[in-house]
Amino acid sequence: MRLVIAEDNALLREGLVMLLTSAGHEVVAVAGSGPEILPALLTHRPDAAVLDVRLPPGFRDEGLRAALAAREQLPGLPVLVLSQYVEQSYAGELLGGGASGVGYLLKDRVGRVDEFLDALDRVATGGTALDPEVVTELLTNRRDSPLDSLTPREREVLKLMAEGHDNTTIASTLVVTERSVSKHIGNVFLKLGLPPSDSGHRRVLAVLAYLNNA
Amino acid sequence: MRKAARATVHLGLAAGLTFGSYLFITMILLAVAGAVVVVGLGVLPETVLLMRRMASAKRRQVAAWTGHEIPEAYLPIRGRLRESLRVATHDPCTYADLRWMVAHYVYGWMVLLALPLWPAALLVDGVRHLLGRAPAVLPLITRLADTEARWSTALLKPPPKARLAERVQRLTTTRADAIAAHGAELRRIERDLHDGTQARLVALSIRLGLAKRAYDRDPETTRRLLDDAQDQVDQALTELRHVVRGIHPPILTDRGLAGAVRALAASSGLDVTVDVAALEDGTRPPAAVESAAYFIVAEALTNAAKHSDADRAEVRLVKEAKALRVVVRDDGRGGAESPTTGSGLVGMRRRAAALDGEFTMTSPEGGPTLIEVVLPCGW
Repeated sequence: MRLVIAEDNALLREGLVMLLTSAGHEVVAVAGSGPEILPALLTHRPDAAVLDVRLPPGFRDEGLRAALAAREQLPGLPVLVLSQYVEQSYAGELLGGGASGVGYLLKDRVGRVDEFLDALDRVATGGTALDPEVVTELLTNRRDSPLDSLTPREREVLKLMAEGHDNTTIASTLVVTERSVSKHIGNVFLKLGLPPSDSGHRRVLAVLAYLNNA
Repeated sequence: MRKAARATVHLGLAAGLTFGSYLFITMILLAVAGAVVVVGLGVLPETVLLMRRMASAKRRQVAAWTGHEIPEAYLPIRGRLRESLRVATHDPCTYADLRWMVAHYVYGWMVLLALPLWPAALLVDGVRHLLGRAPAVLPLITRLADTEARWSTALLKPPPKARLAERVQRLTTTRADAIAAHGAELRRIERDLHDGTQARLVALSIRLGLAKRAYDRDPETTRRLLDDAQDQVDQALTELRHVVRGIHPPILTDRGLAGAVRALAASSGLDVTVDVAALEDGTRPPAAVESAAYFIVAEALTNAAKHSDADRAEVRLVKEAKALRVVVRDDGRGGAESPTTGSGLVGMRRRAAALDGEFTMTSPEGGPTLIEVVLPCGW
């Protein structure tokens, strides 16, 4: 696919481009600062954008703000945001309003090339990719919730679901059959009091909405 | 004779100031009277400032006669009228100065006693001189000046309360500076780690990930990626070392301040004489003092080598009863107060101030530069 990336650190920029092109993607534009992002996206209309959160000139959250602005002007543009630290509120802003085709990952994950490329594919096709660390924080930051009634296996399933994985991936990650994954998911939804949902993006959003509000 | 002449000049100047304070007291009475009808309130801080200037002039004049400085401990008058009025009326020095002024009203005219003594002195001491005796009247004039100076010193010394107030003021300022400097330091470290080490490690991870993908089908590429990865590790380690050194130099932990300063001297590129004998017995100042002393010496030696073109330098650490004294002298061309070398100096001053220490530097054009820092600490 055709990609626009934003990364100010030359070292990482070079690494990202190398990785993406080696996987057969085309990097059509590279932005080195926050204000360059939107024009690049509007000019090139890429299939997806991979943006660093902290960029010049302010070295704050320029990338994230550009991502939100871009999705207002180009609705449905898949955006994968990379960061060197996890900030739950950033994830909340990106996923706000039932957005689809967004991802928020730690930069550390980029090194797991296959998983990273898989996450990018998921985002590009309208799915979600949420960093495991964000999900862990979401799961651990609350007390006295129905989450406590989940079995350890159900928690694992919930976690992978929240990260944006489909049943097939969950099954292969946990080395169980897809049928038992479906069963676990049914139990999770039951225990959390969520309406049964088909697999796919809406399910992820339901889970995340639950975790954000619980 | 010459001394008596100087004494007369001293007394004359004192009389001059007394005349000034006559005018002044009239003014202050007006201001106080004005204050009653509110209008004069605005003039009050200015009046106090003027009184301070007169008291300061008197302190200098007395110091010139006795050779002993009289310290000052004024609270700064600034800001809006309300604030400066508060300081002007609450500063114990204001009342001390006023007391001196009123007293000076009376004793400031001693020159009038000294002048009539002169004809007597010329006559009596002239005869005594011819008889081979020591002068008897001229020393009286000197004694008069001494008395005047002694009274002034006693009256102009800041009251203990004022010293305390001034000290609190100073500590408040240095504490705010220390907190700001600490915050800036943390931000710098975060940036160094974020832009340097963390980025390097991610780049390294990408190399390894790609190498893993290429492993089976393309050994040549794999090898190149692994070579790259190793370079990244080396650079990450180098950067990490710099960051760590900037936080707390490991050599301070390993060798103590004496060893660390010797290491600094050895790597400075200058011919440095190091005298750290005071610390060789193994006593160590608190870590914060060690660290501040280390960075001050490092900065001073860097400046000596880089800006002042020095060849030789001398570093001395002196253990005092309740402080560590750090002395750095170089044989460079001086002029260190110029704005181009500012930031390093500001850093040194800050580090000293943060620990309630004193920083003094003399650096005349043409050199030499002498830096002395006293860092209070218990041993």
